[in-house]
Formats: sequence, structure tokens, C-alpha cells
Amino acid sequence: MDLLDGIRVLELGGDTSAPFCARLLADYGAEVVKIEPPGTGDPARRKGPFAGDDPHPEKSLPFLYLNTNKLGLTLDVSSSTGKRILDRLVEDTDIVVHNFTPSESEALGVDYASLSELKPAIVAVSITPFGLSGPLRDRPATDLEVFAYSGHLFHSGDSDREPLRNALDQSWYVAGVNAATAATAALFQRLFTGTGQQVDVSAAECLATHMVQAVPYYDYMGAIKGRRPVRGSGFEELMPARDGHVVPSVQGSQPWAVVADLIGLEELKDEKFASGAGRIEHGEELMELLKMGLAEWDRRPLFEASGERRLVFGMAQDAGDLYDCPHLAERDFFVEVDHPEVGAAKYPGFGPLLHAESYQVRRAAPLLGEHNRHVYCGRLGLSDEELVQLHANKVI
Amino acid sequence: MSNAPLAGIRVVDLSRVFAMPYVGAYLADLGAEVIKIDTHHAAFVDTTRTLTGPYPNNEPGEDFWNRAGTFQTLNRGKRSLTLDLRSEDGMRHLLDLVAVSDVVLENFTPRVTRRFGLDYSNMRMVRPDLVLVSNTGYGHSGPWSAFGAMASALEPTHGSGAFMGYLESGRDGKLTGSTTPNKIGNSYTDFLACWSAQLAILSALYRRALTGRGTWVDLAMYQTGVSFFGEGLLDFASNGRRTRRLGNRHPSFSPHGCYSCQGDDCWVALSVRDDEDWVSFCKAIGQPGLAADPRFADPLIRYENQDELDRVISLWTCDQPQDAVVAALQKQGVPSAPVQNAAHLLRDGHLRERGLFETVDFPQSSDMGSRSFLGRGWQLGNADVRVRGPAPDMGEANDYVLGQVLGIPQEDIQELREAQVIGEQLIGGSTPSVVPLERQLELGWIAGYEAERR
Repeated sequence: MDLLDGIRVLELGGDTSAPFCARLLADYGAEVVKIEPPGTGDPARRKGPFAGDDPHPEKSLPFLYLNTNKLGLTLDVSSSTGKRILDRLVEDTDIVVHNFTPSESEALGVDYASLSELKPAIVAVSITPFGLSGPLRDRPATDLEVFAYSGHLFHSGDSDREPLRNALDQSWYVAGVNAATAATAALFQRLFTGTGQQVDVSAAECLATHMVQAVPYYDYMGAIKGRRPVRGSGFEELMPARDGHVVPSVQGSQPWAVVADLIGLEELKDEKFASGAGRIEHGEELMELLKMGLAEWDRRPLFEASGERRLVFGMAQDAGDLYDCPHLAERDFFVEVDHPEVGAAKYPGFGPLLHAESYQVRRAAPLLGEHNRHVYCGRLGLSDEELVQLHANKVI
Repeated sequence: MSNAPLAGIRVVDLSRVFAMPYVGAYLADLGAEVIKIDTHHAAFVDTTRTLTGPYPNNEPGEDFWNRAGTFQTLNRGKRSLTLDLRSEDGMRHLLDLVAVSDVVLENFTPRVTRRFGLDYSNMRMVRPDLVLVSNTGYGHSGPWSAFGAMASALEPTHGSGAFMGYLESGRDGKLTGSTTPNKIGNSYTDFLACWSAQLAILSALYRRALTGRGTWVDLAMYQTGVSFFGEGLLDFASNGRRTRRLGNRHPSFSPHGCYSCQGDDCWVALSVRDDEDWVSFCKAIGQPGLAADPRFADPLIRYENQDELDRVISLWTCDQPQDAVVAALQKQGVPSAPVQNAAHLLRDGHLRERGLFETVDFPQSSDMGSRSFLGRGWQLGNADVRVRGPAPDMGEANDYVLGQVLGIPQEDIQELREAQVIGEQLIGGSTPSVVPLERQLELGWIAGYEAERR
């Protein structure tokens, strides 16, 4: 995909949010240079799980997934020599994205005020838990606190238990894709104005904008939406089937008879279940019947039979099921990536498919400092001798 | 000159429900002219106009199709053109509009898209440099392509449930990883699709401005959802691991969880990332000596003894107000946050200072007053991006779009109105029945309500 062909991106910080943002831009064709601190590298390199369960800095699976299609440099941006080199990189870069805290980015001189002095056309993207302004700007937070503060956690899980966090650091992924969108909007505007701007992304606010039901519920009628009710008929919820869980659904504009017929239990065809009000009134009885009916089904056959009848059932799939999914296979979702330390593996690919363009992993995640020579000598014109000096001084 | 990034861009928004309409709303915030293709025939109307609610004071009112809060959020700042796409005239005017537009959003199933002739091979004949987004459950190719979808059932289908679930009691009596999937809920998948579509559109518009090339985005919500869980999938490819459900725990931070505070359904989330956080945490809870307790002295032993640690923490949090717990932890620099609900969000001082909620005044003629709209999670330093107004009344732009944009004479527009191709009042529908809040509470649909706020 070459939508952002010719765009140069510098990524600093690490872990998940800024790397995911930069990966999306790289997937759309931008040239991304990832800058890691010498020695330790991106903190994500310490994050499990690891390929072969071997905790090794080149084998972190989150790191490998988040950093495909990038060039990797090491650079100590907190040293004055490192900062001088960074400034030269910034001069021929379009977008800088980082996830330092507000005070860190100011101290390192990668805040918008400093960067725009070097290059007025720069699009400077900052991703933080709570944004660059306001009383919480410097508060530390992990994914869990961001999820909690945003309103999302209150609505996740069961209403008779504690709120339940979604795993895999989703806050940082949601912040990352929003950051890439906002950066691209700034890039588009720059075509007409010639100037760049600051992009201030608050992860908590990105997630809060998901509250398109809960917020109007309160603003319009003072009602608080909560977690999913544990009572009810079981429809639209995860329910046990023979080989796992499914989500039976009455949505999809088909009459109740189609739903009852699919599940196959005679008692379900009773007229009293045919209306929404009837299903509420006879909820407990319906749930028991539903459990009996679903116990005769495996997930995928039920799911496919529902789709063929224009119903919209779902099923709980695990990672293995997804690798085994005939639909994803037909759409060429998984792509083979070969990495010098961990070998070849099938990686999950890209969400949207674009007409007549294929998603490509042009390169695996970079080894620590893999492209130092390529970028420092090739792009900045440093000599081999200078490269050795930088290395000896622990700048790279 | 306008300082809005998408000034001069016209978007035809044929989409319904949540994910794609919200894309259109953001494009309007960015300054595009977004024309929502509505219909005033109740059988085919966007259900967020009629079924989703909520209504002010839980009262639908006469023109209920213009008044629902979720509809307002998802369609703010747009114009509304009603067109009956079953009629030849309706279809012809739609294609004429596409010919003078830059972006089209649609989320029909592939079968309907083709029946209406809205597929890319047709649309690019109408407008060669068009950016078309077709949003579906499963995409326009593959064996599941024809299947419809709703986010609540899609979410576990794309794998989220493999990575979340409550802890369960293990054989040794300790809490352990769960075998039962759970859901993030709150239509999570819709938003993953929404954000992914926005990025695709802006990237496509960028290239189009430079090269004149349009594109078609085949956005399958299923596949897009899977792509957000890629790091978990790689664990299967590499290690054969199918699930990882840790409750509220974390592979390397402990304690890490959600603890009950004083009051009903009040919780605090907190994380101890390392030994430094641990010492601070012990100070914050007034037990500095705990830092040296051999049961909790290093990260590995804390991880091992999390059940016990959770009990210690719960004892401290359970009879304190939520904000006192957060304040004590924050004072020591320990990551913590209140588990906020919508009421908290709307009152939150930080969010207010940041301007997350934008106040929109409705016209005097409506009785909607002024409402708080959710803005965006990002701010551009030098661009005019904002909620530009409420969602459009049904068909409010019929005369503008047909008359001014397409140049159709007034008498022909009137004929369309008489033939029910266009219209400004919903026909064939009945007032939605609303469930009283007291009953909603009984059913567990809401967690509570403030009578005085109604």
C-alpha cells in the first residue's frame, strides 16, 4: 500500500501506543525510523510472551508484532551529541510521534515548540495517558488506569462482579490508531497550508469517545449505564455450546421463528417468546431452553448456519481458531514474516483491504540498531569513523 | 480561508447504526460537508433514529426520530437528504450526488450493495477518483461474506474473549486464569472499525490530493477486530497458546487490579509497576512497614501471593471514598484512577479543562436545549476541528442538496416529495415504546439513575 508513500516518520518512546501508530503509518507506505535507547532498547523488548517462551530482547512477540515495516536506530537522545543527530533527522522528517510524558518530552526537546523551531512543517504527535494539558497531564498510568478513567472499564464484565479489564493493552492500541488518524489529518491540511502542527492525543479521551450510549443516557435522562446484566434470556451474551461459547442473537431483522428453528428445540417455537417483551417476561425459562438447545451445537456450524439464515450469531474464538479460520485464509489475512532471530512465522495482517493493493510486510521488526549504518551514513552522510565514535561514546 | 482540514470535501454518508455514522461525524468535525442519506420510510430508516434512544427525560416526543441522544452523537454536524433508494428517481439523484462528492460511506451487506449498484466497479464510473468505504461484518470476499453482523456478537468472534475473563479458583485454592471468555461490550468492535476507517479515508484523501487516484476500502469489522489482537495471536503461532485470561491481573505488575470502595459499584484501579512503586504504595496506604514484608518484598513473590495482597488492599479501600483512595495513591505517584461512569465523566474537571465535551445549543424550535457532545480524543494545535452542530432533522437539507447542489428545479423537488421519494416526517412508524427507568433498573439495563437530573 502506497497511500503515504514519501512520508517520513520518526518514532520515539516505545512500548505500544507510539509504535502502533507508527506501524499503521508504515503499513500505509510511510518510511518509519524507530529510535531506541542504546543498550536496553524499546521497553517492549522486555515484554512477554516471547517466541519459544525464550525471554530475549529480539524475541518479544508484542515487539515483533508492533514494529514490522520499520527501520531501527539506536540513539541516546538525552545526550547532547544524540540530540544534535536527532535534530538532523527531524529536519527531513514529516511526522514525529512519541509517547513520552509531557515533562519528559520537554526535557528531551521533542515537544512541539522545540521541534517546530527546527522545522515549521513538522507534524508533532504526542500520545499520553491524559493529554498535554489539564490537571492530570503528568499523572502516571498503565493501560488499566486509562481504561478505568475513560469510562470503559465500568461497562466491561458482569454487573454482579467487579469491572473486568480487557487484556492486551487495548487502550494503547486505540490511542495509536487515533493518533495515526489525527496525524494524517494534519498532513492533509499541510498540503494546503504548508505548516505543521501539534497533535495532542489523550489515550483516556480516545476511549471515552466510545461512550456514545452511556454519555447521552446520563445527559438526556440521568441514567447510568452499567455492566451487562446477568439476568435476562441469554441472547446477545456469551452462552455455553458443546465445544465452547457462542453468542446467540435475535438481531438481524428475522422473525423469532427463524431463530427458534435454527436452535432446533421445539419448546422455543412457543409464541410467548416471539416478541421482545415476551422474551423479557419469560427470560429465565428462555435461558434454560436456550442452554439445552445450544448444548447440541458446536460453535462454527451454528455460526455458519445462522449467517446463512441472515441471523447474526457470534462465537468465542481463540487464537488457534483464528489461525484456522477459512474466511481469514481466503482473504489472505495472515502473512509470512521471516525474522533473523526467531525464524519464519505467520503474522496477523491488516484490517482494511484496499482495492488492487496488497498488504505487505516489507521487513520484519528491526534488530536493536539494525539500520544505524544505513540511516546515519546513508541518509545523514556520517563517515564510518564518526559511526565508530558514536558507538564508543554510547550515543548509538 | 477556512482552517478546517477537510474544508471543501463532500461526503455522502449512506451508513447506518454506529461504526460508520461515527466516521461521518468526525469528518464533519474536521470540516467536510457530510450529507447523510436518510429515508423517511420507517421500515428502512437508520435504527438509531428510532430504536436506540435515549430521549430527553425518557420521552420520545412528537418528532422522536430527530431527538435520540446516541443518534445525535453519531450524526452531529451532518446534513440530511432523504431518498427512497427503491425508486429510480431516488437512485438517480444519489448517483448525481456521488458524482460531485469525494467520499462515500456505506455499510450495507454485500448483497444489498450490489443490488443498489453501489459497488466500487459502478461507483468509480460515476466518480473516478472516489474514496469509497464499504463497511461490513465480514468483507466483500470469503466464505462468510454474505453474513450480517452486530458488534455485540462480533466481538468474541474476532478473539477478544480469548484474552479476557474472570479469574477462577484453581485446584490449589488459588485464583487462576479463566477458561470462560468474557466481553468488553459497549459495542467495542464498532469503534475499532470506526477508527480504522477514518485512518484509511484520510490516508486515501492524502494520496488522492497528490495523484488524483481514489480507492475502495473493503472494511470487514471481523478482520479489523482481529488485527487489534495480533500480539495475542502470535503467541499461538509461536508457542501454541490459545488463550490468556488474567482477570484484572497483569503478567509483570502486581498488585494490579480493581478494588471496591465505599458506596455502591464504586471501584478504584491501581497498578504497582516495580519495587519503587511498591514502597510508595505501602506509604500511601499508611503501612510503610509492609514494604519489607517477606510475603511481598519483590515482584516475583508479590505475583505469587496476589490473592493475599488483594485482600490486604481491599481491606484498605473498602470503607474509603473512591476519590480519597485515588488521592492517597496519586500523592505517592502510584498509578491509580477511579473507575468512572458517564456521570463522573461529565463532571470531571480535567476533561472539562481539556474540552472533551462540547456544548451544542439546539435551535429554539426544538425543545432539546443544549447538550454535551463527546468530542475527540485528540487535539490539533492549529486547525478548526469541532462539533459543528446537532444532528440533522430528517430531510432538513432536501431543498439545499437537490436544489442548490444538484440544480433540480423547485417544482420537481415538490414532485419528489409528493411521490414520497423524499420527505421530512417519518411515515409508517409508531412512537417507540420506552421502558420507565425504574423498570430498566429492575431488568439490569441500567445501573442506576438520578431522578433529579431528569
